[in-house]
Amino acid sequence: MGTYILRRLLLMIPTLIGITFLLFMLVALAPGGIGAALRVSGGGQVESGQKQMMEAYLEDRYGLGDPVPVQYVRWLGRISPIKFGDRAQVSLRGERVSAPKPIKDPVAWKWFVEELPGVPEVGHEWAQGASDEERGLIYAKALEEYVAARAASVGAAAVFEQEAARLLKDTGHADIVDFRNRIEKGPANRVTPDRTHELWPRVEELGQRMMAAYTRAQDARGRLQAVFAAKPFDEAGVPIIPGALYVDWPDFGVSMTRGQPVLDLIGNRLPVTLLVNCIAFPIIYLIAIPGGMLAAVKQGKWQDTLLGGLFVAFWSVPIVWAGVLAAGYLANDRYLGWFPVAGLHSNDSDRMLFLPSFTDGFKPGFVLDTLWHLVLPVACLVYGGFAVLSKQTRAAMLDNFNADYVRTAKAKGVASNHIIFRHVFRNSLLPLITMFATVFPAMLSGSVVIERIFSIPGMGSLAIEAIYLRDRELLLANALMIAAVNLFALLLADILYAIADPRISYK
Amino acid sequence: MTMLDAQRSKPAETTTVTGVQLMQGLGVQPAKGFWEDAWSQVVRQPRAIASLCWIGLVGFLAAFAPLIASGHPIYSKWNEEGPNRVASPLLRYLTAGDAMIVVIALLGGLLLLVPRSVMKMKRGHRLGLILAASAQAAFAIGIISIVQWYIGRREIPADIRQATLQPWFRPTMAAAAAVVAMAILLIVPTFRRLGGRLVFGGIVAALCFATIWGTWGRPVLETFPYRDQEAQGIAEHTYTLIPFSPNERATNLRLLEPGQTRLTPDIRYAESQGQDTSALLAKAEESPEYILGTDAIGQDVMSQMIHACRLSISIGLVSTGIAVVIGVTIGALMGYFGGWVDLLLFRVVEVFMAIPVLFLLIVAAAVLPRNTYVLMIIIGCVAWTGAARFTRAEFMRLRNQDFVQAAKSVGLPLRSVLFKHMLPNGVTPVLVDSSFAIAAAILAESVLSYLGLGPAEQASWGRLLASATNEVGEFKWWLATYPGAAIFLTALAYNLLGESLRDAIDPKLKKARV
Repeated sequence: MGTYILRRLLLMIPTLIGITFLLFMLVALAPGGIGAALRVSGGGQVESGQKQMMEAYLEDRYGLGDPVPVQYVRWLGRISPIKFGDRAQVSLRGERVSAPKPIKDPVAWKWFVEELPGVPEVGHEWAQGASDEERGLIYAKALEEYVAARAASVGAAAVFEQEAARLLKDTGHADIVDFRNRIEKGPANRVTPDRTHELWPRVEELGQRMMAAYTRAQDARGRLQAVFAAKPFDEAGVPIIPGALYVDWPDFGVSMTRGQPVLDLIGNRLPVTLLVNCIAFPIIYLIAIPGGMLAAVKQGKWQDTLLGGLFVAFWSVPIVWAGVLAAGYLANDRYLGWFPVAGLHSNDSDRMLFLPSFTDGFKPGFVLDTLWHLVLPVACLVYGGFAVLSKQTRAAMLDNFNADYVRTAKAKGVASNHIIFRHVFRNSLLPLITMFATVFPAMLSGSVVIERIFSIPGMGSLAIEAIYLRDRELLLANALMIAAVNLFALLLADILYAIADPRISYK
Repeated sequence: MTMLDAQRSKPAETTTVTGVQLMQGLGVQPAKGFWEDAWSQVVRQPRAIASLCWIGLVGFLAAFAPLIASGHPIYSKWNEEGPNRVASPLLRYLTAGDAMIVVIALLGGLLLLVPRSVMKMKRGHRLGLILAASAQAAFAIGIISIVQWYIGRREIPADIRQATLQPWFRPTMAAAAAVVAMAILLIVPTFRRLGGRLVFGGIVAALCFATIWGTWGRPVLETFPYRDQEAQGIAEHTYTLIPFSPNERATNLRLLEPGQTRLTPDIRYAESQGQDTSALLAKAEESPEYILGTDAIGQDVMSQMIHACRLSISIGLVSTGIAVVIGVTIGALMGYFGGWVDLLLFRVVEVFMAIPVLFLLIVAAAVLPRNTYVLMIIIGCVAWTGAARFTRAEFMRLRNQDFVQAAKSVGLPLRSVLFKHMLPNGVTPVLVDSSFAIAAAILAESVLSYLGLGPAEQASWGRLLASATNEVGEFKWWLATYPGAAIFLTALAYNLLGESLRDAIDPKLKKARV
């Protein structure tokens, strides 16, 4: 059993990689690529030079300029628990801090200098008895300087690139400039610019600025590296090969559009979705099993026909329709208005007592209020699930009615109720366990729609937001979470299956 | 059931047949094929008949939508003297695709209705012929539409533009469509003999030729000046059943409730000003009603509902078709080879199983262009795992059987072993499942449309349903009830059909008794 579970767990890794790769490629295929929403968010009023600088900054910050597979591998490296290279450090706020990334070579630098300025070798010594806070401050200051210098360098390069592209196009080198006025880096260094052209003085000025900014950024990087090497914080993870390999928690990164750590965002939303599903699940089983049993016992009679029809009907009701009708007729004040329309709590829920109270007239209290808000969403989640499950129960029971042991029991004169509940039902439970694995993902995705209709702040609405905003980090982390939960549900179902049925073993 | 009842319920027409009679050919009944037998059991069930009726109705509306619901009059008479005093704008501006669908639906319906006594061909064969003809015609017309789109662009070279204006261009295009349709039909085994194929291909090619010839160069009309013409007394127009097009919009007519007319805003205004409304009311009596109201930009809901049948029918069939083709191919490879092929491909299946299909659909639909064809491909590419798993299980069971071993040992190519010998014996579960898959695809489309990710340029039930609520919390009951009911009934019909099919094919569940 242990080996089986281990094998399944190991097989999950390629599956999860496959899922995230699929999604990464899909989002990268989108018109405008991954950072489309980021680029748009600058608004129309920014001057063109500024826009270029901002785009260049975002591209540099999130590595959007690299080929998609490279970006994916980098993302994989961040979330992988096994990490290579120098160990990251944990800042006082609990964030992972790693050594500064190298800065990209500026475009066409050979036009101005023979050799690029390198990173200066500087050391850093802590003052005697510097506390953790003081070290943190020094690091933060160096980091701030470095980020500003780097942004300035990248921005200057972007502005230079636009002008240089114009020059290149004018002097017969249009083949190394693409439609967005981006210059191919390798050939640009080999080209000798036309220093007599009227655009040259401007290009040269911008180029000098770019080189100066680059030098400053390299200096700042050198200083930051020195501070980092002096270890301002505790090191993260557990080393396996010192300096080369260590194990650490996955780093899901920071949401591109919200600026918050992705794990915090998911942590806020996951409990809501789990709450809705945890209320819905027992209800589904409580309705489905008796319904399916009744249909099976009365097979061929009118009860069976009626229930069968009901199951198919419920199964065919579009979840959107159910949600819209429920929200429209039952929650809208113009019609019945029995239930709240949207959200998880009333407006004044923060002033409510936790439990209902009767001292001063009836006050529903926080718990009842939340449950009241959840009635319609849970109802919409339940109806689809129990239809599927009831049909399975019926089919499983009917399978067992055909079995030899039932005939034997009947021949021995066992009471039919006894046969139904003691013999058949217990044996029919097995498929219901596996159904858990089928219903669970369906419910997770169903809650995407339900949460949208009823404006519930859960995982589903977070996923939709991430998709609309093309927030790569958020979307991938979300998908990974949902997929992992589903895979564990599948595994759990298989293990439960083996426990419930001694005939099955995974040797 | 007592013994007596059991004897009474024996079928009366069962008679014994002696060996001599058998020799003479008496009492011999032609053996029914597996599918024919299953089908005859399916159509005995009332629920299956009801489902088929509903699907047939939706299909009928889909095929004839432009003739049933259109804002263009079918018959117009101008009061002034002129060369075109009488015209039919509706027929005149029918697009090539619409015209083709109407013609094929008419001819196909007739072909299916001819009784067996007149035409010996089996109904299944006839249905196959109609499907082949529509696929080829769609292909030919699709190619011509791409050409039309290309020459309709602004930035095409001048010499090509000149060529399109030549008199020979139109017949050439029509002939090209005919040749494309004909060429493919000659290869597809519609008939055993080449003569049959030639005749059938010739008919389809002639249809394509006529359609392209008749519709070439006609602009797509999106203006509706007819009501104004009538108001000014220039012309008299006669409309079809629903006198509105799905894209005929007017902002002052937004969100009218069912049963109101285009004069309702005027009447309301007159009432608010305290003016006499009797003349307007009398006029409103005559003007056509919005039977199911209008939507948020003043388009008729009934007309949109009818035109959306097309999306519903096509998205279900095409996306499931794509899913079945992908699923059967991958499932066949997994089941036949087993081993590491199975292990590797099953990881791919597991990728699609682990992530909720809807989630993947939403991501794909959000980043790819909003277009009916893209949507069909997306749904097809996401929903194939069911077919793959069924085929895998069946092929694992079949691969060690004698007939497969025999086919292998004869040295037949892999393609032949897999798809000619094994597939017909293992395709049943996939086909039963595909009926449920069609329903699932229709439901998926409704969800995507609700999230604003559906096809942009096409009327769709899901989009109508989505417009029933808005950010301010308004709820328009007619926009929720009718389109939702249409989606529900269509999904229900496919699900019921699938159930009947499964019951007919899987007799195991029938015997069970307590």
